Amino acid sequence: MNNDLVFTPIRQLAELLKSRQISPMQLSEIFLDRLEQRGPSYNALTTLTRERASRQAEQAEREISAGDYKGPLHGIPWGAKDLLATSDGIPTSWGAAPLKDQTFDFDATVVRRLEEAGAVLAGKLAMIELAGGMGYRQPTATFTGPPRNPWNRETWTGGSSAGSGAAVAAGLVPFAIGSETWGSILSPANNCGLAGLRPTYGRVSRYGAMALCWTLDKLGPLGLTADDCGLVLEAIAGPDPDDPTAADMTFAYDDSPTEGRRFKIGVLKDVADGAEEPVRENFEKALAAISEVADVEEMEFPDYPYVAAIRTILNVESAAAFEDFIEEGTAAELTAPEDHYGPYARTSVLATDYVKALRIRGVMSREVDGVMSKYDAIAAPTSPRVASPIDEEFRKASPSPGPGDLMGAIGNGCGLPSISVPSGFSDAGLPTGIQFMGRPYQENTILAIARAYQAMTAWHTRHPEDALEG
Amino acid sequence: MPDENKKELRADMLFEIVKAKYGDRLTDEQLEEVRSGVDGIEGLAAELRKVRLTNAVEPFANFQPFRGADNDE
Repeated sequence: MNNDLVFTPIRQLAELLKSRQISPMQLSEIFLDRLEQRGPSYNALTTLTRERASRQAEQAEREISAGDYKGPLHGIPWGAKDLLATSDGIPTSWGAAPLKDQTFDFDATVVRRLEEAGAVLAGKLAMIELAGGMGYRQPTATFTGPPRNPWNRETWTGGSSAGSGAAVAAGLVPFAIGSETWGSILSPANNCGLAGLRPTYGRVSRYGAMALCWTLDKLGPLGLTADDCGLVLEAIAGPDPDDPTAADMTFAYDDSPTEGRRFKIGVLKDVADGAEEPVRENFEKALAAISEVADVEEMEFPDYPYVAAIRTILNVESAAAFEDFIEEGTAAELTAPEDHYGPYARTSVLATDYVKALRIRGVMSREVDGVMSKYDAIAAPTSPRVASPIDEEFRKASPSPGPGDLMGAIGNGCGLPSISVPSGFSDAGLPTGIQFMGRPYQENTILAIARAYQAMTAWHTRHPEDALEG
Repeated sequence: MPDENKKELRADMLFEIVKAKYGDRLTDEQLEEVRSGVDGIEGLAAELRKVRLTNAVEPFANFQPFRGADNDE
């Protein structure tokens, strides 16, 4: 039985590999078999990359046996959201039916860096078509089939990094790389009960990743724990001459014990108002728990049209990024009906309105940072709802009240890092999440807070019954 | 002209541009949805226009000239 092994965090798996209690070949076979056999049942898998995985696992085995140990990701299997370019004829479909056989003759920088770290690419993982760039409304907006949540297959994983969420939650890969323009890492982390880290914009090179919105896109890890996310971020972050937006700084993960540290956490006023009851209750309990190690106080951001500004930027850049789909009418071949017409309205944004949004973005970034400089993190529910039914438009299934996703607009608009970790479950057994959002380049602080929270809770040690063997 | 009327007129004109460019590939039902989308976009723009900024406030997308590594004078 592999139940314990497939739900083992990276650090402990690494210890098993380094001490040769298990070999990279053995470990990769376990995950490859699970991904192949179970992945399709969640519609999580686009392409199993067995050949590449076997080659990488064999190399890892030789290196570890020879004492050439590269670090905690050496020999660890992982999954790539299917917008990351992979060479060797491995398709990169972007989740879009017209592109299901698309290939690239190079690897994305993130793929290359994980190979250099010794990680083993087990598969390309399903995603919402074009990462939601056409304005999708329903979970089934992908040619790979509705992405089923391992906690309850009649609910969806969240998106757009849907397969990444399902695969890690079901123990099919120890970690996955997803992407977030606005919500696409945090949403599956929330719905699937995982740790999901959206890094600072520019922390991780986007070279070789499909662009939805050049000034909002980020790549980041999903794993079983916050510590997993820190270990992966160290491997993938750093400057890249192929991506001019990649920050000219490396990231050294600080995994120092958090005992004795006291954090200062802000909670946005009324942030949980209108959230579903289990979300609200679990958030309150999480705040009570984190108060053991943090001073928590209510706060507000200055009044700006955050959602309007960032949505305008997203509308314009996505219309430009998918110009071919619009001009050539290929949008009509996408899976979700709303994606057939969704992008056309976006072509109506006036240039002066786009520039106005960019100007407001500068003002709001400076003022938000002024507020956030008083805190180590801002805490909020990751999502106001648990996973919605797979056959319903997610906004109709559980409408969001109020002026829209303020944390999402500010976090993504200002390029801020945020980590989501599970905060509990609903009575129906669906996960809820709490996010800790930090100032730019403050990943170590928010990871420390998330680790401290996970040290006092056990939500991350629960796994879907559906995914267990036997 | 009241602001609300201006907004409606702008949305009308912008929708006509979209319809002229792409209308031949969209059904009437889809065009209704596109119109709703244009209305939404114009609503966002109206919020942005309420924010007064001075001339000195630059867009947060700074252009920097590119110079390659082997560019000899």
